[in-house]
Amino acid sequence: MSQTNLNLPLITLVGPPNSGKTTLFNYLSGKKYKTVNYPGSTIEYSITKFLDRFEIGGNLMDSPGIVSMVPNSPDEEVTISNLYDHPVYGKPAVLVVTVDVSQFSRHLLLVKQILECGFRVIVALTMNDILEGKKFTVKETELAKRLKCKVVKINPRTGYGIDKLIEYVKEETAISNLSTAVAKEFEDESIIKIYKEIEEIENNVIERNDQTNLEKANESLQIKGQTSALNKPDELTLKIDSLLLHKYWGLITFATVMGLLFASIFWIASPLMDLVDSLFQSLSSLVVSGHEHNWFTDLVSSGIIGGTGAVLVFLPQIIMLFFILGLLEDSGYLARGAMLIDKPLSKLGLNGRSFVPMLSGFACAIPAIMAARTITNKKERLLTIFIIPLMSCSARLPVYGLLLSFLLPGKFLLSGIILSLIYLFGILSSFVISVIINKYQKVFLKAEDNSSFIMELPVYRIPKLKNVLNNTYNNAIQYVKKAGPIILVFSILIWALTYFPNNNPVVPNEENLNTEQIQELIDSDRIANSYASEIGKFIEPVMKPIGLDWRVGVSLIATFAAREVFVSSLALMFKITGEGDNINESLVNAMREAKYGGTGRPLFTTATTIGLIVFFVFALQCISTIAITRKETGGWRIPILQIVFYSGIAYLFTFLTVNGLNLLGIS
Amino acid sequence: MKLSDLHSGQTAKITKIDLLHPSSFRVLEYGFTPGQEIKLINRSFFNDPLAVSLRGTLIAIRKNDAECIDVTL
Repeated sequence: MSQTNLNLPLITLVGPPNSGKTTLFNYLSGKKYKTVNYPGSTIEYSITKFLDRFEIGGNLMDSPGIVSMVPNSPDEEVTISNLYDHPVYGKPAVLVVTVDVSQFSRHLLLVKQILECGFRVIVALTMNDILEGKKFTVKETELAKRLKCKVVKINPRTGYGIDKLIEYVKEETAISNLSTAVAKEFEDESIIKIYKEIEEIENNVIERNDQTNLEKANESLQIKGQTSALNKPDELTLKIDSLLLHKYWGLITFATVMGLLFASIFWIASPLMDLVDSLFQSLSSLVVSGHEHNWFTDLVSSGIIGGTGAVLVFLPQIIMLFFILGLLEDSGYLARGAMLIDKPLSKLGLNGRSFVPMLSGFACAIPAIMAARTITNKKERLLTIFIIPLMSCSARLPVYGLLLSFLLPGKFLLSGIILSLIYLFGILSSFVISVIINKYQKVFLKAEDNSSFIMELPVYRIPKLKNVLNNTYNNAIQYVKKAGPIILVFSILIWALTYFPNNNPVVPNEENLNTEQIQELIDSDRIANSYASEIGKFIEPVMKPIGLDWRVGVSLIATFAAREVFVSSLALMFKITGEGDNINESLVNAMREAKYGGTGRPLFTTATTIGLIVFFVFALQCISTIAITRKETGGWRIPILQIVFYSGIAYLFTFLTVNGLNLLGIS
Repeated sequence: MKLSDLHSGQTAKITKIDLLHPSSFRVLEYGFTPGQEIKLINRSFFNDPLAVSLRGTLIAIRKNDAECIDVTL
């Protein structure tokens, strides 16, 4: 980030997952990072400067949540070593450690370890209202005395206590700019010893706030009574969980929640998608009408507007998915989902922690693959990353949408059901592939590890609509920013490949042709002699066995930029001018007219269209996914394996589908 | 007895953590230490994982990981 200055002292926020760390970071920096009620939602370091009003000359860093200073995975190893000395930002002046007081003893473990390592520490106590709801309160000064560091109660949602925290930060950074902490080993016994010390502290710094002094005096004689009352989990959460984690009801609710999630993506978003679609269509015809037909109007209407439309048309669906996922995350339910599905997933070689990454995969594989960092076991993490591309991401929706409206024109309900079946097919395939890869893990993944599942189930809370909307908005913007330029560039590139070099073909000017027919002749002559067709001739032998031609082949290659490019690319290949109708409808009509390489045989038949759907279920056509997999797995092995594996399966299954259907008499 | 032998709703006290178990360190870090009171809240559909209440927090733990936790009623 440009505003940060490396010469300024570094203040790092550290804390267990879900301890209010990112909320504090957002309050101090004025940024709006994602904060959710799911363990491990911060997966990367974020760095920024403090808001000006705090008048601190320093950099503020947020770190991924950790339970202890002993790494449990390669990523935690990096996280923890970065606390000591960050490769870019260097050593911190002070660590601000957040402690959720409703989980006082568990969160104090990290504080004690960090202190033992020799860091300068300020302890920020969060969630004090929850503890007070249980009629307890923490004595700040007593805790500070026992820990020998500064302690402050804060509420990063309201700003309570922040001024004091800032004052402490200024005092600490004035003493020293660089930490002298050194890494320390912690054994089983030392954890037990630290917890013993913590229990001693707990008994002395937490007091009931609804008692008379006499009662307090009595209670101090029987400390046990107090701690057991303190260690009662949230009542409401227990009540809700008696239903949501119930042996049978829990499973039924889980299935219902998942069903509703996907149903709403299909049915609520579809009218919005039509709206965006027709908007771009009228924009495109607006450019074409009233202007001379030349390369420039063609570039604007087909290349630019058509390309942008292809990106934005499925935005409603992405927004819907992020919104509902956000609600589920913020409520605390996703952690329960992870628990409920751990057993079946473990049979496949995965983990309950694979659940959230897999679910995010239905929006986009890129954040999903990054979210797999929360899986501590290396084999399970690699396996999760391996199968995430089979979760039908939102970029495949416009493709399925197009192919289904070709197959089942006007039958929206049936299309919806088939679409759900395609999703299910993808999920089931991922299970089968997971079992296969897991069986030969020594060949494919080269990682073995002790499989384990221990996860905190956060307290239920009503999702903060403002937060969820904010995150949804950020995700959607990020998505458009990331996918948009690529799609636009490729759209223009494909437009150029189909338009040049034969950009001004001469067609015989016969008298019985009207201008529209002449235009069609010009278009088809231009594309038949274009660069795209040159490339297409190379692919033709590969496309022939699956009943498709070079035009589809070129579109499939273009999808490596992003899958949704397929729609705009097909539109360009089959030259849709589409006056009046929306892109999909006119493209569907053009697909009906398309003939196989000069013969009278239709190109898009029931068989080849179903074949294409099968192809899109398996094929890994996304450069960004390949790039992020390389980064997250630390090498080319897994992404190359994926490309070979999934391309092979996609081609084989498409071949079998098309030819199998042909044998059955379905052309 | 083992933690996984408890019935739903039963409260027990942790007596010992088997330090030879590969998950023992993680289990300790999460606060499963000898002397702590622990309550089995629920079991999942497949009897696994278990949801337990410990130190004021609900924690989901796989039966396999819970194997290293000895408890007494």
